[in-house]
Amino acid sequence: MSGPPARPVSAVELIRIEGVSKRYETASGAVDAIRDVSLAVRPGEFCTIIGPSGCGKSTLLSMVGGLVSPDTGRVLIETRPVTGPDPKRVATVFQDPGLFPWRTAVENVEFGLEVQGVGGKRRRAVATELLGPLGLRRFAEKYPRELSGGMRQRVAIGRALAVDAQILLMDEPFGALDEQTRVLMGEWLLDIWRRTRRTVIFVTHSLHEALALSSRVVVMTARPGRIKSVIELPQGYPRLMESAELVTLRAKLWSEIRDESLRAMGES
Amino acid sequence: MNIVAIRAVILVAILALWEIAARVGNPLIYVPPSAALPALGELLRLRSYPDLPEHLALTAQEIVVAYGLAVAGGLGVGFALGLHRVLGRAYGPILAALYAVPSVVWYPSLMLFFGLDAASKIAFGFLLGFFPVTLAVLAGIRQVNTHLVTVARSFGASSTTVFTKVMVPGMLFTLMGGLRTGLALAVIGVIVGEILGSKSGMGSLINHAYGLFRTADYVALVIVTLVLIVASDAVASLVERRARRWTA
Amino acid sequence: MSATLRVRTLQAVSVIALLGLWEAVVRAGYVDPLFVPAPSAVVRGFGAIAPTALPALGDTLLKTAIAYVLAAALGVTGGIVIGSVRALHDTLHPFVGAVYGLPKILVLPWIVLLLGFGTAPAIAYGTIHGLFPILVLVMGAVRDVDRTLLTVARSYGARPWQVYVKVILPAIVPSVLASLRLGVVFCLLGVLIVEMFAGVRGMGSVMGGLANGFRAPELFAATGLVSVASIAIVLGLDHLNEKLSHWRG
Repeated sequence: MSGPPARPVSAVELIRIEGVSKRYETASGAVDAIRDVSLAVRPGEFCTIIGPSGCGKSTLLSMVGGLVSPDTGRVLIETRPVTGPDPKRVATVFQDPGLFPWRTAVENVEFGLEVQGVGGKRRRAVATELLGPLGLRRFAEKYPRELSGGMRQRVAIGRALAVDAQILLMDEPFGALDEQTRVLMGEWLLDIWRRTRRTVIFVTHSLHEALALSSRVVVMTARPGRIKSVIELPQGYPRLMESAELVTLRAKLWSEIRDESLRAMGES
Repeated sequence: MNIVAIRAVILVAILALWEIAARVGNPLIYVPPSAALPALGELLRLRSYPDLPEHLALTAQEIVVAYGLAVAGGLGVGFALGLHRVLGRAYGPILAALYAVPSVVWYPSLMLFFGLDAASKIAFGFLLGFFPVTLAVLAGIRQVNTHLVTVARSFGASSTTVFTKVMVPGMLFTLMGGLRTGLALAVIGVIVGEILGSKSGMGSLINHAYGLFRTADYVALVIVTLVLIVASDAVASLVERRARRWTA
Repeated sequence: MSATLRVRTLQAVSVIALLGLWEAVVRAGYVDPLFVPAPSAVVRGFGAIAPTALPALGDTLLKTAIAYVLAAALGVTGGIVIGSVRALHDTLHPFVGAVYGLPKILVLPWIVLLLGFGTAPAIAYGTIHGLFPILVLVMGAVRDVDRTLLTVARSYGARPWQVYVKVILPAIVPSVLASLRLGVVFCLLGVLIVEMFAGVRGMGSVMGGLANGFRAPELFAATGLVSVASIAIVLGLDHLNEKLSHWRG
């Protein structure tokens, strides 16, 4: 299950990343963000990418979202190459919720639909219906500054869910939240994911998050980011962290990440 | 194409347009660059205005005195209002309201009080320079990281030590910006004062040239004044950069 | 006594004490009332000049209003265009910065030469005065729009016009309002300077005339009148500002 990832054997592939690399020019010289990464993601999967800071996880995610184009290689979604943002198929949630401060919670959830030209009444109906499971029904008319960090991130997730895209990209969505809120948000996201059956690519630093949520964990190396290993997790939820199986998996995942984190620390 | 090259092209284009427009228009109003340059030469060789050095020196002196007073007053009032909570809350809003009044309304009273000589220009330059310095001190004090003050106190630092080791370095960045703006405004105050009514100084020469329709000389005098202004700002920016390096 | 009450009391006491002290000092003959008139004389002075000063103030404010509309329209559109087109910004910002920083008073004699002594130079100079602070602030605001919001809009497939209408314009509203608040003071300043310099109509020329005639009480009254008008305008804009940016903290 671990080791260098040969092309994953899978009947159906929704997302196919083929040998992508990206190099950034910075003031202090060129930086190889990621080098020759290939990965396939199955429909309905919860795929987590984990790795040390600066390993290009976010860059990889932005390529799938069409916000960054790879220097080499390509990304295919349902066999069509990605050339730019495609909100009909892909929605992104960033670590900074990126809510529009002049829009209320419900207006923020409507944003994607509004941009796509969906009429006022229909998009309000969609957004209002989403607020229930988001746990924000009472906060529909509040402005972002009146919401807690967790609520803001739920609004951002609601905005992504509203456009009804099959693929949900999440770039450390709970990174700025405190530990307890983080765990609760994870449970809530799992529930949403299981009900809506989206395909999720989730970037995180947190071992706990990776083990609690994912169907598969992809470990990336320190810069330049490459895929170090892919770990399949057991199917059932909720994950019992104390079970022998998860304790073993946790130790294994930690040993994979530890070396890379040490390398990243030494570099900086 | 290089951005500097584009800027140069724009500058040359403006000068060329100016030249063409001026040649077509009334020569009493429009002075082409080709006529302004010789006038500048005449001025610098002290032919058109032989007493240029004295006027230039007077204006420079007025600026130095006005700015010195503005800095002293601004720092004094700023720290008094910024460090004393009740004083700050009582007089801060009054100060802000006065800042919302267009400064030139005070000038006729200053002229009446101090006369047409240097004193009224210094007073007006002081008034304009005073506000940015005061406001920068107030903003700077608000910016000081209160956590750092707490840390310093927990190590047993005295109020004086907290002031010199934590507050001043913490607010220096903002303060320097205010001091630079203060200089620019003190300069503007002095020059506005001179142009609105004076017997000597660069402003009086500008008025003289304009009154006699010596437009080319007027342009030359404006150029000399601009050099004075730009030079004062260059000095200020140099000092500002030095101070920022010390704190960094 | 609550802190707020103490502050208010201190403010009121200071103002009354200052006026009382001022009146007493003048009455006692410590200063020359020719230069520093007593507050009571200033009040009487206001009565004397009100018939000429009020129409003059109206004249000044009308010119300011025209200059302000021009400066706001040019400054806001110019700021948005220059701020959002990177090439334009990189090319033009040193020019804009230079004109913004240099004293406009130096071109005033030339503007009067060009446009004469009437209303036109006051409006032109008032516009120039107000235009640059607005332009510079709006330019900066457009460049400071939160990058994350632009990325979000892009990731949801917003077209360029949608990015303007739904992200950039709402995001710069607070800065635009702040620039408009600053701009009105600059426009009024410019108009008053021209009136003082060219001295034909308006409060600037009234005040210049009073100063030259050594009529201190009337001059102080006129100064107070313009100050009050200006503070009232700014407070009005502040009020509007608060109403329009309710989403801010």
